[in-house]
Amino acid sequence: MEKSIENIWKEGFLESDALVAPKVNNLYNQKSIHIIDKFKRMFKINLIAIVAFSFVFLVVSFFVGIPITGIIFFVTLSVLVIINKKLLKGLDKINKGLSSYQYLKTFNEWMKEQIAINKKMSTFLYPIIFMAMVLGFWFKDAKGMPLGERLVNKILYSFPDIYLIYGVPLIGIIIMVLILGLLVFFGGRIYMWDFNIVYGRVFKKLKELMTDIESLRS
Amino acid sequence: MSSDFYKTSILPFAGIIIKLCRAYTNSQEDFEDYYQEVCLQIWRSKDNFREESQWSTWVYRISLNVCLTLLKKKKNNVQHFVSDSITAEETEDNFAFSDESLNLLYDAIRKLSEIDRAVIMLYLEEKSQKEIAEIIGTNPNNIGVRVKRIKIRLKKILDGKIN
Repeated sequence: MEKSIENIWKEGFLESDALVAPKVNNLYNQKSIHIIDKFKRMFKINLIAIVAFSFVFLVVSFFVGIPITGIIFFVTLSVLVIINKKLLKGLDKINKGLSSYQYLKTFNEWMKEQIAINKKMSTFLYPIIFMAMVLGFWFKDAKGMPLGERLVNKILYSFPDIYLIYGVPLIGIIIMVLILGLLVFFGGRIYMWDFNIVYGRVFKKLKELMTDIESLRS
Repeated sequence: MSSDFYKTSILPFAGIIIKLCRAYTNSQEDFEDYYQEVCLQIWRSKDNFREESQWSTWVYRISLNVCLTLLKKKKNNVQHFVSDSITAEETEDNFAFSDESLNLLYDAIRKLSEIDRAVIMLYLEEKSQKEIAEIIGTNPNNIGVRVKRIKIRLKKILDGKIN
């Protein structure tokens, strides 16, 4: 007679070798392959790298004569790090002993929250970085005169009838505004593009699991 | 992790972890990684255990949640977490159970969706519909229907294999 799956299960595990636990060695020192731990690790590494970069850049900016860029970078990136550090704390609160639905939901909500916040910040971050670069070089000392002013003088020499607003050529302001607009528009998308490359597969899997459990709940 | 915690709180429930991890992995190497990851996460989460459920239920929940959200390793990026090196031949031999019917059943279970795998594993472990619903976080009324559907599906897969 054909065995039921219940019997196959019961009888199969009667064999002495069926439930031999693998060796566990030096477990705590192993690098985790769990998604939350990976996120935590990557987040921490990213934050440390941002802090280190902004600090080094701040020092270097004074030496190369663009302290405005360095200061704006430092302040902006510090805000980014502080906000993301707070987000990281939310990840610690996720309890793996919750029911699978609650666990996946909590994790999914955390993911959505951090994506939404970072996406929103990216719409400001890239334009601020661009502006910091422009301002830094504009006010950089170039033989006793700010580089921007020197540039305007050169432009005026070639195009004496160019229209200026507060000493800045109108065409320059228009180009700046266009670039800033593009960065604001694409900032969130650039972040999402970057995020999807790294975590798209995981995010998709989470969505599928959630949908499957939700179908069981309804 | 202290070896005492492993011996007293994890090892007695190793059977549960092994059965679940087997259902979510296709190789001995992945299985060992999943097993170790589950043990690690049980240890890390032990302070969250509030004794509102049995320890075994807690172990089920963590094992399942870890299996559902583990990052599967790529074959070309293999790392041995177990100190003893395992050859390819040993891996093949060790992964299969000596009971052929059980191997076929596991192969069939691995063909199910991740949530269906969880449901049928808990059912086969003789958990009640209420317990299954609690562990997964679903409505107990739907579990019975889902189990029936899964069993039909498994039967079809198994028949296909046998024939």
